[in-house]
Amino acid sequence: MSNDVMIYASDLSKTFGSFRALDKINFEVKRGEIVGFLGPNGAGKSTTMRILTCFISPTGGTARVNGHDVFDDSLAVRESLGYLPQRAPLYLEMSVLEYLRFAADLRHLDAQTFRKRARSVVEVCGLAQVLGKEIRHLSHGYRQRVGLAQALIHDPPILVLDEPTSDLDPNEKAEFLDYLKQIGKERTVMLSTHNLAEVEASCARAIIISSGRIVADGPLDEIRAKSGRVRYVVSIQESAGDGAYRGRGPLPKKSEVEDALGKVGGVKKLGELPTDDRAHAFEVVSEQEVDLRPEIFRLVADKGWVMLELHRDAQTLEDVFRSLTIGDERRNRRLGPQPEVEDDEDDEDEESDGDRPGAAGGDAAEVAAKDQRS
Amino acid sequence: MRNILIIARRDLRAQFNSPVAYVVIGGTMLLLGLIIFILPHMSVGGVSVGGFWAIDRASMDQMFVCLPPLLSLLVIPAVTMRSLAAEKGSGTLELLITMPVRDSEVIIGKYLAACGVVVVLLAGTLLYPIAMFWGHWGIGWNLGALDWGPVWAGYLGCLFFSLAAVGVGMMLSSLTENDVVAFFMTTGALFLLYAVGLLVSLFQGSWTAVVEFISFESRFQSFARGMIDTRAIVYFLSVATLCLLVSFRSLESRKWS
Repeated sequence: MSNDVMIYASDLSKTFGSFRALDKINFEVKRGEIVGFLGPNGAGKSTTMRILTCFISPTGGTARVNGHDVFDDSLAVRESLGYLPQRAPLYLEMSVLEYLRFAADLRHLDAQTFRKRARSVVEVCGLAQVLGKEIRHLSHGYRQRVGLAQALIHDPPILVLDEPTSDLDPNEKAEFLDYLKQIGKERTVMLSTHNLAEVEASCARAIIISSGRIVADGPLDEIRAKSGRVRYVVSIQESAGDGAYRGRGPLPKKSEVEDALGKVGGVKKLGELPTDDRAHAFEVVSEQEVDLRPEIFRLVADKGWVMLELHRDAQTLEDVFRSLTIGDERRNRRLGPQPEVEDDEDDEDEESDGDRPGAAGGDAAEVAAKDQRS
Repeated sequence: MRNILIIARRDLRAQFNSPVAYVVIGGTMLLLGLIIFILPHMSVGGVSVGGFWAIDRASMDQMFVCLPPLLSLLVIPAVTMRSLAAEKGSGTLELLITMPVRDSEVIIGKYLAACGVVVVLLAGTLLYPIAMFWGHWGIGWNLGALDWGPVWAGYLGCLFFSLAAVGVGMMLSSLTENDVVAFFMTTGALFLLYAVGLLVSLFQGSWTAVVEFISFESRFQSFARGMIDTRAIVYFLSVATLCLLVSFRSLESRKWS
């Protein structure tokens, strides 16, 4: 392990009773990186963070923070960390200044260092106006800032923030992400969230976790490209309304359009999109290498239909996230024991370890499309 | 050591920053005053209660009959429910434990703070013997010379009793995330530990010895009479240590659950 690896997790597992919260996850975070830790609720984000901050112990595997093992050397780990748990649980009866002093005392800062550090975190977190106020009287946004300030008070090389923006309004969120950029200049930051826009705004790299497994890990561009699929939206006129129909032959039926689009070479998936009765709209998904637009245009022109719309977009981070993690949602909606098939699919998922989420992701996206239709 | 003091100081301040500590201390003082000075003399289960004026002796025995049950039923459960159960429930414990402190320092710090509140209450009750037996208060009046020996012995007994009872409260507080549950569990447990001594006559044979051994009441008796019983001190301290060990393990168990 090189000196630059600040957080290192190897085969990290955690089971709660019979529930496997984490299943052999592996990742590294290097010095100076801001990493977004993404996943749906219950995927294992907080569990991972709690292991890294020594609140709970892993059932298996090892984790090292700043070179110290979380199990054998937990005090050293906690000294080099600043941690903000979910919803910033602070002592409500203390004033902001008292709280910061308490955090500084436990981290053994002397009075002079405290004054210096306090001045700097108060400035970065924008707390000057509320220093003397009791925390119970502060809004969630301010509480979150106080939580961040206590995590920063000892100038730690590593920050672990668990859903730091979940309780904030859009303005506060934007401000918070600004702080984060300032803070992250010379620090390693690991931040969990299920808000993708935040990751896109503040992180260069993301780790996506689903059902206790890492399904993607890398720079955002790479993750976006990961699905390797492109989506086309095609709308064909269904009725001309009061105007004149400019097509050839009769107006097409939905099944005709569906059949015809399905036969275009390279189409991996076809789904209907909701529209009014003037158009048939379909979503066509293909592999990235082929461009289906000429094919689709040719088809529509040959049939004599009227094309209202054809556009192509690369999948957004959100789509990738959905296709990578939708299995969770499916499991949540299903009662009773899970069929074997599901497990096989999961194993496949594990083998690919995020490098090739295509197979499972495709199925999942299909379900997503069905969901959308219903 | 330093961390223990920092945690203890914070907890003690938190107790006194909320109305709970004041209500509990004030309420206890009031109840104590009512029972000692206003209530007519009566005998409950062979223990004489109240009738301070009727006894016609310069003695504070009455106070030491009432203090332990009041401590057990009201003060200690109210103080210890906040120390771990409430913190677990609100999540503040997570933030505390993820700072560079040992679990044992957290437990001991919180234990000391809870004991601190009880000590403040005990110090407050000194008001009663002082008002009755010391000074003239500008009216040229007091009840005469009090033998302070038994009073100090009684306070010492209360202190050691409280060390054990707070330990029990901490232990039960560490087992739940709900402060109300912690309160009632502690009240129940301390009531049993105390009252079982009053029911000693119901037990037969060797059970009598067992009950007397366990009972906080039997242990406290000698102090109330002015005798400093080292066996009782060792017993109370052992109970406190055992309970703190269990609390420590229980706090640690979060890692494995």
